[in-house]
Amino acid sequence: MSDNIEEIQKSVRKYIIIGVALLALSGFTVWLSTVELPTHSLNILVGMIVATFKASLVALIFMHLNHERPVIYKVLAFTVVFAIVLFVLFILSAQDPLVFEGFYDRNE
Amino acid sequence: MDIPYTVSARPDTGLYNAKIGIWLFLASEVMLFGGLFSAYIFLRVGADYPWPVWDLDVTLGFWNTVFLIASSVTVVMAWASIKLRKYTQYKLCMLATIACAAIFMVNKSIEYSKKFQHYAVKLTDGTILTGHLPHGYQVKFENVDALELTIVGSNKAVDADPVNHVLTSVVGDVPKFKFPSGEEKELNKATFAELRKATRAAAYAKMQEERAKMNETAEKAAAEATTDFAKYEAARKLTIAKNYHSIPDTKVKLIPASPLKVAAKPSQFFGYTGTNITFIDGTIATGKLVDDKMTLEVDGVDTRAVAQSDKSLAFDHRYLGEAWQKAFVASRDHHIAEFENKYKDENGKLTRDKSKSATLQKESLFYKLNSATPPAEGAAHGDKHGAEAHAPADAHGHEAHHPTVVIEKKDITFFSNFTPKLNTYYAIYFTLTGLHGLHVVAGAGVLAYFLFFNGRMLREDPEHLANRVEVGGLFWHFVDLVWIFLFPLLYLL
Repeated sequence: MSDNIEEIQKSVRKYIIIGVALLALSGFTVWLSTVELPTHSLNILVGMIVATFKASLVALIFMHLNHERPVIYKVLAFTVVFAIVLFVLFILSAQDPLVFEGFYDRNE
Repeated sequence: MDIPYTVSARPDTGLYNAKIGIWLFLASEVMLFGGLFSAYIFLRVGADYPWPVWDLDVTLGFWNTVFLIASSVTVVMAWASIKLRKYTQYKLCMLATIACAAIFMVNKSIEYSKKFQHYAVKLTDGTILTGHLPHGYQVKFENVDALELTIVGSNKAVDADPVNHVLTSVVGDVPKFKFPSGEEKELNKATFAELRKATRAAAYAKMQEERAKMNETAEKAAAEATTDFAKYEAARKLTIAKNYHSIPDTKVKLIPASPLKVAAKPSQFFGYTGTNITFIDGTIATGKLVDDKMTLEVDGVDTRAVAQSDKSLAFDHRYLGEAWQKAFVASRDHHIAEFENKYKDENGKLTRDKSKSATLQKESLFYKLNSATPPAEGAAHGDKHGAEAHAPADAHGHEAHHPTVVIEKKDITFFSNFTPKLNTYYAIYFTLTGLHGLHVVAGAGVLAYFLFFNGRMLREDPEHLANRVEVGGLFWHFVDLVWIFLFPLLYLL
């Protein structure tokens, strides 16, 4: 993080603006969940996109990830990859690789 | 020796040490919460019941989001304030952060306690009634004329302990008991310990007697053995006899001087029949079952798992009855008509599948009761919250109570308060929010330590404290970040 006094002074304003934006986005998320999209999965998808956007704001601005040393990005790259693996693991519950017989319709 | 690189950057990483440390820790935290989010996905994909949506108090959850985001702003402002050497502003920002954390936790505990006091009762036809148990739930026995204790020989998980597990559910005065020795005395810790000691001593003697007998038979067989096989068998039996050390369990009967009345909570017993009840220490009390009905103040009827929702057991004449049934059907049909109106194209064809809309299923089939008596006929047609609008106010101006039903045990398949026991949604809800709550407490604790115990560092080495606050702040932002995902996943979607 830079130790430049002027820059910090400037960023204080930025923090408040981001905070207000996050609050507004939270309200938006609540409103969005009352809107009935064609399927509920779509609601979940849009909700998660908004949440991810909010999370990126926190990470980039509050956690200073918009200008950090390379070593931290290297650590986080691994984390992101493994976290994504965790989130798609559930596919195995629908398609068991041990008994998977290919994509065909059993009723045919 | 001082810890190096607390202020200046380490040449190889370009960072002060604590910063790389906290990022490694946060990476592991991402995996910890990632695993639980993964569990959430598994549970939700595999749920065999309608996943609860908007079941929690969204207003409370939203306010908690507000406080957490606000605290994220204040903690980063606190760091900037030290950098700018505005010490008063730093202190105020830290205080605000800790206050936000405290408010968050208070809200959380309100939310939790509401869930602990709220119950769901599943009936045999799949209907789920939700509501409150005004008197709790107890199984009542009368004329209990004997307690059968099982005093185990060797250590087991369940061992007789009637003083702590049976007498606590006796109603009224506890009479004296007739002990196996024939004496009539009070049952308390001392007398039971005495009884237990004597019983176990007798059981031990019995075991020794048994062992001696086995030994004798085996020795006799060894002496008489002629063939190799017989000798081998005898030697084997001798070994068994030598190793025999199983002390038998003993059943002991205590007869109360006058018949007992018992009222036990579900957590106090394993099970019961019409004539006896087994407490969690294994003690069986014989008597007569007088009451195992459940009095429930109903605030919701969930018929989503019932084939014919209007024929739900909840509307049986013993329970909510015909008037509520009518109100339910009116509300259900109103919601269906509303849906049909909303999603109709020019040709009058539906653009959405009724059976696939979870929202319609919930609105039409999960009926909320907001008054003690059913709303007047036609009221439910007028607006969405017909029942609510017509709820008569009680003397204090509060919303009137809910209807009370007395449910027979034979109609109940399962009941629980809104805790992890109820379903997988509440299991993952408590796991995720509980762990998150612990993070809030820990994070606030660390920040409070910096504020209250690092005053000297603030004066003498502000750059060092600024780094500490930055690292504590990074953890705090992570806690906020987790909540940003938790709030929509658990409350809204």
